[in-house]
Amino acid sequence: MRWMKDRYHALRALVRRGQLEDDVAEELEFHLAMRTEEYVAQGMTPEAARAEALARFGDVKAYREETHVIDERMAREKRRTELWDMVTRETRQALRSLSRSPSFAVMAVLTLALGLGATTALFSVVDAVVLRPLPYADPERLVWLDSPVPKLAPEARWDLSEAGYHHFQREAHGFASLGALDTSNVSLAAEEGALRVDVALVSASLMDVLRARPALGRLITPDVDAPGAPRTVVLGYDFWVRQYGADPKVLGTSIRLDDEPTEVIGVMAPGFHLPDDTVDLWRPLQLDPASPPANSHWVRAAGRLKDGVTLEQAQAELSMLTTRLPELFPGAYSDSFMRDTGFTTRVSPLSRHVVGDADRVLWILLGSVALVLLIACANVANLFLVRSEARSRELAVRSALGAGRWDLAWHSLTESLLLCGVAAGLGLLLAQGALSLLVSMEPSGLPRLREIGLDWRGVLFAGGLALLAGSVFGLFPLLGGEKALARLRESGRGLTSSRRGNLVRGGMVVGQVGLAVVLLAAAGLMLRSYWTLHRVDPGLDSRDVLTFDIVLPRTRYTGYDEVNRFYGELLSRIEALPGVKSASLSTHLPLRSFGGCAGMAVEGLALERSKMPCVTAPGVAPGYFKALGIPLVQGRELTWDDLEQRSEGVVVTKALADRLWPGQDPLGKGIRGNGFGPPFYKVVGVTGPLRAHGLDKAPSEAVFFPLAPAADLPLWGPRRSPAVVVRMATSRPESLTPEIRRILAEMDGTVPLANAQTMDRVLAKSPSVARASFTLFLLGIAGGMALLLSAVGLYGVITFIVGQRRGEMGIRLALGARATQVAGMVVLQSLRFTGLGIALGLLGALLMGQVLGALLFEVSAADPLVLAAVCALLAALAVLASFGPARRAARVDPAEVLRSE
Amino acid sequence: MQTELLQGTLDMLILKTLTGGPMHGYAVASWLQRTTDDALRVEEGSLYPALHRMTKRGWVKADWGVSENNRRAKFYTLTAEGRRQLAQEASSWARMTEAVSKVLQARPALQGA
Repeated sequence: MRWMKDRYHALRALVRRGQLEDDVAEELEFHLAMRTEEYVAQGMTPEAARAEALARFGDVKAYREETHVIDERMAREKRRTELWDMVTRETRQALRSLSRSPSFAVMAVLTLALGLGATTALFSVVDAVVLRPLPYADPERLVWLDSPVPKLAPEARWDLSEAGYHHFQREAHGFASLGALDTSNVSLAAEEGALRVDVALVSASLMDVLRARPALGRLITPDVDAPGAPRTVVLGYDFWVRQYGADPKVLGTSIRLDDEPTEVIGVMAPGFHLPDDTVDLWRPLQLDPASPPANSHWVRAAGRLKDGVTLEQAQAELSMLTTRLPELFPGAYSDSFMRDTGFTTRVSPLSRHVVGDADRVLWILLGSVALVLLIACANVANLFLVRSEARSRELAVRSALGAGRWDLAWHSLTESLLLCGVAAGLGLLLAQGALSLLVSMEPSGLPRLREIGLDWRGVLFAGGLALLAGSVFGLFPLLGGEKALARLRESGRGLTSSRRGNLVRGGMVVGQVGLAVVLLAAAGLMLRSYWTLHRVDPGLDSRDVLTFDIVLPRTRYTGYDEVNRFYGELLSRIEALPGVKSASLSTHLPLRSFGGCAGMAVEGLALERSKMPCVTAPGVAPGYFKALGIPLVQGRELTWDDLEQRSEGVVVTKALADRLWPGQDPLGKGIRGNGFGPPFYKVVGVTGPLRAHGLDKAPSEAVFFPLAPAADLPLWGPRRSPAVVVRMATSRPESLTPEIRRILAEMDGTVPLANAQTMDRVLAKSPSVARASFTLFLLGIAGGMALLLSAVGLYGVITFIVGQRRGEMGIRLALGARATQVAGMVVLQSLRFTGLGIALGLLGALLMGQVLGALLFEVSAADPLVLAAVCALLAALAVLASFGPARRAARVDPAEVLRSE
Repeated sequence: MQTELLQGTLDMLILKTLTGGPMHGYAVASWLQRTTDDALRVEEGSLYPALHRMTKRGWVKADWGVSENNRRAKFYTLTAEGRRQLAQEASSWARMTEAVSKVLQARPALQGA
């Protein structure tokens, strides 16, 4: 009871402010009264005596204030020390009590730490990717602009055209600012040789949109963004630190980018990047508003809405402005183009553009680990229950000695909070480790990866969960506190578990098994998806192929002849290396940025625009199909002659040939980019089905043009920064990289090599595969943990029940039951729990399948094979978990049991 | 004759007063007055803040009790800590008065001698 009293006082002290005032006043009053009496005794009148006493006392008000301040401070300190004393005392007590059952404490802490760690890690990911606003000022006003062309291809989204961008920037009033950007690679001359660096090409207005700040110097301003302005660059902060050792003297110097001197005018603020790309360098885009309008959509655009302007208003304004394009730029846009393509301009929140549909996977995964946490909590609750049963005698004795319900509750609360606190700490360590592992794995398709990490929100989350769990566990004994007392009164022994306890225990095991079924079914469905995805034929042979990127500086390689000469020499020198079978290059690499859609005109087919093919159009060098192992089902590859003599041959994929010329011979048919003048290119070859956009996508429609086209079009980016593919005879293509680096250095020291990886890796990192494997990995862990925890829970409960029914078993054996019958009874009990759990779990699994829906690839959400396998697995588990207890039950010695009864 | 108290001296005097046993503030004031035959004038307004300060420092502890004429009054008791403090202050006081009287009894040296 003393504990209770202390706590009562500590709590009372928290609300005892007014009392101080009274104390001070009373003490003063006593003093004055005594002094007054003294003076009265000396013969003064009471009034005069009182006045004299006050006068003698001095400044009463100052005294009251000073004393009050001192007392206040004293009371505060006292409250603090009392509270602290209470906490340390309770903690010591809890530690003592826990140290008496270390296996309980260790089990509970480990189980909870696992659950909390996994949940916190996933929460941190969801928080960083989905919940936290983008790292720009007022991010909710940021929008992304693009142009759907639903009638060409349902999913196709074009960027803006230059003409459209300028038009919107002039006319749209809903935006505080509108900025344009593009990304590219350049070659940077560094001491260690040429480096390939990622560049953001941005308009000056984009700096306003994203509210960029320089760490040093200045940013891209309208004067450096003017067409024809001298070449300038702003360094990204990380790049500045990495490449220049954070030397401020780099400001104002000239660095060589693409072999041209470029003045460094500033350094970007730390951590500032484009919404969906990491950026080494920032350069002005230098768009020319006077350039002739063209229907070429390559300008990416982001805007900042004016205060008070809604997304809908901005959308309405842009839709209206888009309809005026044909009238303003008749050479680039026509009414029929608008009609036939369904071309429009879309405004969407920038966060939506960045996160895409990654949030769906993440929420599912967070939900899954939350289920694991739930299972873990059920296990720990069970541990607490067993412990409180075991301690019921102690509790009963204590309550008989006068410990109140609250006293007992307080004890177990401190104990469970302590356990959960330790578990939370351990869980945070686990989460930290898991997150660094995740970030280092760089799962493709997970946006905002660099923002992921454990921060105070994760800590708060783990702490909150631990507090919640701790409170629930701690209040468990309350349920049976008075019952225990009653039972003690009834009989001195036989403190057997209550029926309610058993019901709770059984219910928890059933629940655990049910949740495990849900998680395992989810993992199973993902596994089948992944498996199916893996068996999809990409239409190329990714084994023994090395890929890498190069960039040719714009200054030295101005025309097709130089470019072709360089590529020809590079490829023949690579092919001369030992172990190399063939080498080639292309502007696009299948399964990695294979590109969007460009409209095509087809010879002899007066296609309506709405039927116009909108396909990917890579430029390829000869030998490309051979090097990537893409089989040709008809015709031939492109040759160097096709390039040098501009012989106007193209290769199309089977999917495109089947659509454009069904039942006809595609060879010799004419096709070219829409909007480009005649002549038509002639189809010289047809590839097999090629899934270049992703294994989960339909076979790609594509036209492979010769790297140097027939018409003397200007050389644009991708042709100068192609992906090289090298097929090896050996199985370790990556061992070739140093040799190739040497060849490049010999040919031209300003050409960097980057992104060297095997084609197998490209395949594994392609979004659909990467997402499936990432999801499968995490669901697999969640499912495995669920299985393990359920097994432990099941084992614990069966063991407990066997222990309780020892007497009954003994009697049965004494009456002639065979040992196997008794053992069978135990196994049956376990199967009964599991069966009920499975039945419930199957319902949940069907729901979970619906949620997973979009993530699954050619697997039904209610795949019977997966569900059957999961049921079988859990049934086996039930038998396995009951095996030990069953053996113990069968070995019960009837004589001994009967004696002890 | 009345002399203003030196800073910190009041604390020492109060501690000394309380060595006689628990007392309320009025009794402390009265005792000091009687003992010094009014030579030392304790400002009563500063007596109480001093008592409260010493309570906070743990030199005395305060409890509500009943006075000789049956009124509720706050009694101050010297703690062990307070006793130590008194001993320390008393000895440093003695050292100082000795030093001061030495100076007063000495003959000043002549300048330049």
